[in-house]
Amino acid sequence: MDDIVVRLTGLTRRFGPVRAVDGLDLAVARGTTLALLGPNGAGKTTAISMMLGLTQPDAGTVALFGRTPTEAVRAGRVGAMLQDSGVVPTATVREVVELARALYPRPLATDRILAMAGLADRAGRRLDKLSGGEAQRARFAFALAGAPDLLVLDEPTAAMDVAARQAFWSAIHRYAAEGRTVVFTTHQLHEADEFADRVVVLAAGRVVADGPPAQIRALAGGRTVAFDAAGAAPEGLELLPGVRSVQVRGDRVVLTTDDADATVLALAAGRGFRNLEVSAALEAAFLTLTAIGSEH
Amino acid sequence: MRAYLWFELRRLARDPRLTLFSVLGPVVTYLIFSELAGGSDQLEGVDATVALMVGLAGYGAVAGVLSVGSLVSQERAVGWLSQLRVTPLPPWQAVAAKALVSTLSGVPSVIAVGITGRIQHHVELSAGRWIALLLLMWAGTVPFALLGLAIGYGLAPQLAQPVNFLAFLGLSVLGGLLVPVTYFPDALRHLGHALPTYRYAELGWRSVAGLAPTPSGLGVLTVWTVLFATLAAWAYRRSTAHR
Repeated sequence: MDDIVVRLTGLTRRFGPVRAVDGLDLAVARGTTLALLGPNGAGKTTAISMMLGLTQPDAGTVALFGRTPTEAVRAGRVGAMLQDSGVVPTATVREVVELARALYPRPLATDRILAMAGLADRAGRRLDKLSGGEAQRARFAFALAGAPDLLVLDEPTAAMDVAARQAFWSAIHRYAAEGRTVVFTTHQLHEADEFADRVVVLAAGRVVADGPPAQIRALAGGRTVAFDAAGAAPEGLELLPGVRSVQVRGDRVVLTTDDADATVLALAAGRGFRNLEVSAALEAAFLTLTAIGSEH
Repeated sequence: MRAYLWFELRRLARDPRLTLFSVLGPVVTYLIFSELAGGSDQLEGVDATVALMVGLAGYGAVAGVLSVGSLVSQERAVGWLSQLRVTPLPPWQAVAAKALVSTLSGVPSVIAVGITGRIQHHVELSAGRWIALLLLMWAGTVPFALLGLAIGYGLAPQLAQPVNFLAFLGLSVLGGLLVPVTYFPDALRHLGHALPTYRYAELGWRSVAGLAPTPSGLGVLTVWTVLFATLAAWAYRRSTAHR
């Protein structure tokens, strides 16, 4: 019990008729780096917001370290980077970091925080003079400063460039390696795949898959088969062997399939194709999974 | 809470717009208006130049205090206040620090207009009187700080700024901070006497004259303080409940 850092039970939140989060059950063990993966509107941010005690659930409970979110936050065990949470103008990076350090009982050293966030050379700069990616790293520094046992990051890398992302994830990796728990949300499968050791896929407010990254990929095993529509109607394609979904994107037909070989063979025997392209895009697995979730 | 207080004070000190608005405005206005008043005129029971000094010091103080409220609205909109709520800082301390900082943002105006009065019109008060005046003009901003927080927590930034400005303009003009209510028609003067701005300046006028605050003045200020506090508490709760 003590090793469960986050426990969500039947968590539900409605916005009007829409169930943003619908009966979410989740237990996160200490030391896990967990990705909450899902398309926009899957309920990730709402779930995070309830997890942190910022939003009250309509039903269900949240326990962090066996306590209410508010208690765990007050005790300084939680650090969070909220989505689009802005920075206050006129304060400097160092001032924000020092503020966070003063608010938490056992903060990290300032130099270490700045180094981890890649802001060592920006300490004296005002927050409103930072680039989008730097501002995001400043918010990361703020979340990190108190050395929280649970670090919650909502879409943490959205504004970062490639180099900043790499530095960011390696900092997260080292931080988690000290036995801390990290929960982050993303709508990019490759981020979940590379940086999490457990992936929970959320669609329409429900968990549609939960496991290590490799298992998530294997679950769907999806590939896409794309070819020119050439004016022909896509009727009947969903009946081909292996096909899970049929999409028409402009002049292209895109089939998501469990068995690309069988699908292509059937196509060749039937209507034929032009400009065929088979790809093992991870995004396909993701789409397959979330499409299942949306059918609920 | 001390760390957050310092953080906020440093930010405040670094915002030159606020200083410009709440210090330069009343100082320049005082220089112009006080020249128009005759040297021996009496207003609100004290020399006209002194009455205008107190009124304009209060005008600048209310401007400074209220404008911190619209900053709260922006901080809320960009998510900074939510970010603070996921730190160990208890929310009531965040609000209290904000209220304290906003009352302090009225102080520069009182000092600046006071110094101007001293230099330009040789306003002579004992050291104790100056200090009493400063403390009263500071403490008297509490209802306006609460109004500012009510606006800041209650309204979106696009709305908070104009509402703030209208509240400031209405309260300070009708409360006789710019032009003394003595010059108002009867109905307007009665209205002025019921406003917190008039009763706020009255604290200063009476203190300069060596008089204690009137019970009716304190009563009116208390009623407004309770009203604005209720409004601020309601706006705060609403702003956190629907996120």
